[in-house]
Amino acid sequence: MTHAVPGRPRLGAIARKIGGHLVRGLAMIWVVATISFVIIREIPGNPVLGQYESLIQKGMSPEQAERATAVLYGFLPTGNLWQQYVGYMGSLLHLDLGRSLSTPGVEVTTLIGHAARWTVLPVLAGTLLSFLLGVTMGVYAAIKRSGKLGDMLALSGSLLHGVPVYVIGLLLTAVFATLWPIMPSGGPVDVEFVPGFNAGYIGSLIHHAVLPVVTYTLASYGGWILAMKSNVVAVLGDDFILAAELRGLKRGFVFRYLARNAILPLFTILALSIGMLFGGSIFIEEIFNYPGLGLLLVNSISSRDYALMGGTFLVITVGIVVANIAADLLYTVIDPRVRSGGAA
Amino acid sequence: MTANTAARDIEAPGVRIRDLTVVYKTPAGELPAVRGVDLALAPGTITGVVGESGSGKSTLALSLLNAVQPPGRIAAGSVEIDGLGDVLTLRGEDLRRARGRQVGYVFQAAQNSLNPLKTIGKQLLDLGRSHEVEDLRGLVREAKDLLARMGMDGARVLDSYQHELSGGMRQRVGIMLALVLNAKVVVLDEPTTALDMITQATILRIIREVHEERALTTLVITHDVGAVAEVADSLAVMYGGRVVEHGPVTEVLGEARHPYTQGLIRAIPRLTGDLSLARALPGRPPTLGTLPAQGCVFRERCERRMEVCETDEPVAVNRDGRTVACHAADRHLTLIKRKEFV
Amino acid sequence: MTVIVNPEGAISPDALPAGTTRATLRRNFWRGVWRVLRRKPSRMAGVVIVALFALMGVAGPLLYPAQLPRDDNALYAPPSLAHPFGTDFEGTDVLALVVTGARYVLLTGLATAVITVALGTLIGLVAGFHRGRWDTLLMRLTDMNLAIPGLPLLLVLSTVWKFESPLEMGLVLGVLGWGGIARAVRSQTLSLRERGFIEAARGLGLPTRHIIGRELLPSMAPYIAMNMLIAVTGAVYAQVGLFFLGVLPFESNNWGVMLNLAVFNGGALTTPAALPYLLAPLIAILVLTLGIVLIVDAMDEIFNPRLREE
Repeated sequence: MTHAVPGRPRLGAIARKIGGHLVRGLAMIWVVATISFVIIREIPGNPVLGQYESLIQKGMSPEQAERATAVLYGFLPTGNLWQQYVGYMGSLLHLDLGRSLSTPGVEVTTLIGHAARWTVLPVLAGTLLSFLLGVTMGVYAAIKRSGKLGDMLALSGSLLHGVPVYVIGLLLTAVFATLWPIMPSGGPVDVEFVPGFNAGYIGSLIHHAVLPVVTYTLASYGGWILAMKSNVVAVLGDDFILAAELRGLKRGFVFRYLARNAILPLFTILALSIGMLFGGSIFIEEIFNYPGLGLLLVNSISSRDYALMGGTFLVITVGIVVANIAADLLYTVIDPRVRSGGAA
Repeated sequence: MTANTAARDIEAPGVRIRDLTVVYKTPAGELPAVRGVDLALAPGTITGVVGESGSGKSTLALSLLNAVQPPGRIAAGSVEIDGLGDVLTLRGEDLRRARGRQVGYVFQAAQNSLNPLKTIGKQLLDLGRSHEVEDLRGLVREAKDLLARMGMDGARVLDSYQHELSGGMRQRVGIMLALVLNAKVVVLDEPTTALDMITQATILRIIREVHEERALTTLVITHDVGAVAEVADSLAVMYGGRVVEHGPVTEVLGEARHPYTQGLIRAIPRLTGDLSLARALPGRPPTLGTLPAQGCVFRERCERRMEVCETDEPVAVNRDGRTVACHAADRHLTLIKRKEFV
Repeated sequence: MTVIVNPEGAISPDALPAGTTRATLRRNFWRGVWRVLRRKPSRMAGVVIVALFALMGVAGPLLYPAQLPRDDNALYAPPSLAHPFGTDFEGTDVLALVVTGARYVLLTGLATAVITVALGTLIGLVAGFHRGRWDTLLMRLTDMNLAIPGLPLLLVLSTVWKFESPLEMGLVLGVLGWGGIARAVRSQTLSLRERGFIEAARGLGLPTRHIIGRELLPSMAPYIAMNMLIAVTGAVYAQVGLFFLGVLPFESNNWGVMLNLAVFNGGALTTPAALPYLLAPLIAILVLTLGIVLIVDAMDEIFNPRLREE
């Protein structure tokens, strides 16, 4: 039993938690950066050296060519592995991810910044929608679990949870863009509208975002409904719910006790879900030709733009790490048991 | 404590359980967990109910609030509480209002009877709002008083979450929540199980004190004969869903008439004397599925089994304030009776 | 003065006659399986579906000639009796493509599942069994494994490694995906440990190998089997997805290649002509998922008695 000051969050505990997360997150980012470095260097044909040599052939002096290549990839084309590695990590520390080859001269960070909007907003919208929908349906599936409807809900959850994201996306497109074309089949916005704060442009943006967001939503809805159902069933069996009824608490209060206790553990999977959606964004953006990070990654690979590839991969990782930390902090704030550093 | 002396003047309500039968739905059909139980709780007394696990005592306790959980169902009978009527006919909002307000319930394993995500104080306010308490400040004051009586720092406890309290403290919080709305009938289901000896003794003392101060009618369910001997005025012994013996606690324990009660008492190890004198009851208690369909439920383990026990279920006979349901005890009695008449 | 009449949960030792216990348990188990399957016919369907796919993977390529026939007069032919799902851009029967393409997909799935489960179980067991420093280290590693963005990493890896054989693919997917099982097996081990399983076996002087092999693994087997099925689907999705994205070279025909060609060459998302070509592999994936979900659902009910009587 902890006899901490009741009810007061222990700032020390939270700080330690954040610290642990940061250390783990940084370790994660470091591992991923190292993987990118090794891969870029080991790609058959050595694109870094190739670029350097082709620049010399174009008449550049070796020093100039060396510098130009370093700007591109973040490390010098010559020198041993260790020097290159230090150089690469050094530019990363300065938030320099190099320059793109396929869009010549543009910094990788700029391209990623543009693409990130198209990924982050739909992912967040999809997460929020699927969470709300899944949690509501999960409560329903738990309460009606011995009936036909509950069975159907649970099965739909298992199926959607099991089916890969691209199947959902492709089926939605096949139905709503090909067979019954009420939705655009791809792209972020119709070209005839002038970008800006006008009804036509924004309407077109939303119109184009519907199918991707619905795909994100359906892809993670199944997980939420299954998790919520099993949590509600577990909490329904807890003594304190019966105790609350026996004390004559109003239905609303009992329901709130039930819902809050059942939802809480879901916040631990929120992070995983966001990570999964970031991964899924690769398929969704490819299917809907949506110019986000996933599409950027695929395109960078097919156009052999390796600096862009490494940078995008790194930023997706950072996004997942940040989502992890955010979800865990949220959990810490909501659960008094974790908050006061007591039994988890 | 003027409020408490005032409470004394109000008559404690009586509770009459009549012919109560509770069945549980099983793959083998509906089986009775409680069958034909008659039990009267005299106003202002503490009645103890003892029995092994599976004897139906917790089901009986839940019936007092019409709260038998599925797959269980109250099949027949009535539970009349003075000033409330037959609880078993209450439905919906009426039933909800009776729970907590008129009948307080201290949950089995009350350690787990609190919402882990809310402070005790907030749960107290939820309780007050559920029962339309106007004066929430007064409610909090009352709760603090009760907690203080039980030896706790009220303000601090109300500010705590469940996980910040020890098992004994949670148990006392459970008792506080059952009493704070001034319920006159209080049901305690296994109030001392899973607590250490010292805490057990404290809780039992508190139950006794509060009971007397507030003029309550109290039902204590337990499998601990020792605990019940300390607090109860009268004692009911349950076996296989029946009340086999009921009477004043000193008489039932001092001069048991039912062979099962006698066996229970023999099984108590004495502090002084030879430990080998304590004899465990032979055999195992029946479960829902192994209850005999006819005859006496206890006959398998009974040393005074007779032929009639195989076929006829003994009826509960009331004589000089004591009820016994046993052919053997019965015959003994009828013999005496006959003598009186001859 | 405390008298406990009957301690709760005491199980009498004579409840199970010692000699026949194992045989009886096994018979009861199969009877339970049969009952669960019969109670909901949909679960039987799950078994049938998965058996069909297994058959397709084993015997599928034998049903057709090594070089599937082409028909230049019937490019993107609509569904007909001869071609239930139409034909592709070369006039090849789509159904034949799905059936022959199953082997690569399922083989990879199987290889991945075996590797995932072996790695995950081993790491989870070691962590849960030894606790202490090993546990901390292995769980850190597991957290890392779970947090690593698998699909992006696969894409990046595909630039240096072409995963040509199903086994190679399975190895990569397995190494990326063992985290979930490891964590689950560890918590199962810990809970068995809490129930005194391990201490009791130790007390009887049984060697560690026996404790793990005869006591721990059997009680976790159903759980591991369920995870293995789920790992199969995960692997199928990942590799079909990689082929769909077109980052892997098309060595042989498989479902992912079909999806890629249908969408990016056939324009299946803009014209209905190539739709059957797109839908056939999608339906195959959906039906396989359905089959596995139904089986996992049935297994859950067989091995998780808490769910049985609701």
